[in-house]
Amino acid sequence: MAADEAFDALADPVRREILTLLAQHDECSAGELSDRINRVGRTAVSSHLRVLRTAGLIAERRNGRFRYYSVDATGPAQDVIQLLQELFQGSLDAAKAAVESGAADPDGSIRRAM
Amino acid sequence: MSQLALTAEQHVDAPPAAVFALFGAGTGAGWLFDAVCDRVALGAVVTLQAPMFGMAAGAVEILGLISAVRSPSRIEIRHDQPWRGRLRVHVDPDGSGTRVRLIADLDDAGLHWLMRRRGFSVPDGRVEGTHPVGLLTSKSGSASVFASATENLAAMAVEEINAEGGIRGKPVRLIVGDDATDPRLGTIEAWRLVHAGCRAIMASTTSATFTRAARDLRGADVLMVQPVMNEGGMGGGLRVQLGERPERQLRAAAAPMMEVAGGRRWFLAGNDYVWPQVVHSAARRVLADHGGTVVGEGFAPLGTRDFAPLIENVLRSGADIVLSSFVGADLVHFERQCHAMGVRERCRSLALALDEPTRERIGDDAASGMWGVSGYFEQLPGDLNEAFLRRYRAAYGAFAPPVSSISESVYEALHLYAIAARRAADDDAVATARELHTSHKAFPRGMVSVVGPETMQQRLFLAEATPGGFLVSRAG
Repeated sequence: MAADEAFDALADPVRREILTLLAQHDECSAGELSDRINRVGRTAVSSHLRVLRTAGLIAERRNGRFRYYSVDATGPAQDVIQLLQELFQGSLDAAKAAVESGAADPDGSIRRAM
Repeated sequence: MSQLALTAEQHVDAPPAAVFALFGAGTGAGWLFDAVCDRVALGAVVTLQAPMFGMAAGAVEILGLISAVRSPSRIEIRHDQPWRGRLRVHVDPDGSGTRVRLIADLDDAGLHWLMRRRGFSVPDGRVEGTHPVGLLTSKSGSASVFASATENLAAMAVEEINAEGGIRGKPVRLIVGDDATDPRLGTIEAWRLVHAGCRAIMASTTSATFTRAARDLRGADVLMVQPVMNEGGMGGGLRVQLGERPERQLRAAAAPMMEVAGGRRWFLAGNDYVWPQVVHSAARRVLADHGGTVVGEGFAPLGTRDFAPLIENVLRSGADIVLSSFVGADLVHFERQCHAMGVRERCRSLALALDEPTRERIGDDAASGMWGVSGYFEQLPGDLNEAFLRRYRAAYGAFAPPVSSISESVYEALHLYAIAARRAADDDAVATARELHTSHKAFPRGMVSVVGPETMQQRLFLAEATPGGFLVSRAG
């Protein structure tokens, strides 16, 4: 996929909002996306979804008359989002491990370096 | 601005206060909670060592400050490097334990930066109808500390130039490249700026990057300007070096430093590349002229984090003054370790690259006993500087990084370039370079006159680091 097409696709705030929603939920139907995006109507959401799909940023799955969307697992946007998501999750997992293994002081009275 | 908001969440079997107390405590609680900060308080600077591209690639430093804090439930960090964004940590009761949520904003610039670093080609967009100018800066690596406000001030200059009608009727468009404090990457990024259509590049990087890129781009018809303090020697043709020169900085500071320290013995310590090397050879001349002696010298490569062996040599040498020619994060770590190892009780420190964002990260305690010498400090009096700082804060907010000689020099260089480019008959780079050689203007630092390809006349100021800033005096 050409990265420049992806960037034209990301230039629009509604399309970025769609991508954020899809990054937070594994998969959404077109209806679910429209319900969550208030600033434009259902038809506009549909056309934004088409642009995102053409740019290779999102994938579409059909089930009967319903269409489901998710972030394309092979695109550069997904690569970067996944990278950050793992980085952030990893930091919280490490904090959990530190507290629960007793490495950190449980009453919160850890002394600071300075 | 439209952004992506990314979230992560975790349940912890401990009360919120225990989880909150991890922040900044250095207990091995992951890169986020092991945030490096002297205080968990509003306005305190924070460095996060994020293993962004895997452990093997080394950490990328996220540089920011605490922009909101409410114990034991909320911490908000605004960061400027490697991109501008916000990290929010929510710590809430969840049954008998705690729910921790992390919400991160990612804007276009951040997304572009990440994609480039992951090896994707990201287009710079159309430049037709504009006058494209490149800014080569350091978004990561040691130099990202002193470059914190560089992009902000470049953007501010471009906005002012465009408000005056741009250059020959076309608005200036700034295209930003990141050298990651690596001369090899800097050269690749400089070529990217050339291919994007830039006729001029402001290289606000270490001299290690500038010299390599300036040589490598010989065949390109592009004007390269180094606005920040540098050692000179590359000026001529399409290369212009502005900024403070080590010899003048040292001549301005040598005598007052020996008076403050009550001694004449100097230890020279710095990073191992062209600028610190030239600083040290200039120091040997200047100190000899002022009756000072050099009792030791040491170098460490850019990116060094453990300076203990070098600092032990400083302590053994019996020096009264350390001339510290480290830069950015290296200067931060060297000076913090000097403070921790007791150097401050015996020596004063003069650092030519000590500026506002670097002082802030060294910290009020560790920076006490340090002096800097340059053409600009935020505290300089004068209406121009006052109005300039007001515009900066209005545009970028109270939490934006402080302005310094290094970042202000880019603002000036862009204005000087615009004056020169308007005076040149057309977009010819050689004609613009020639005009730049005789340009002058009153700036926040005072009157600045360019004389030839590598001399900029300006006043210099000696400044003592004090809690929260600098105490500035006229030096020469």
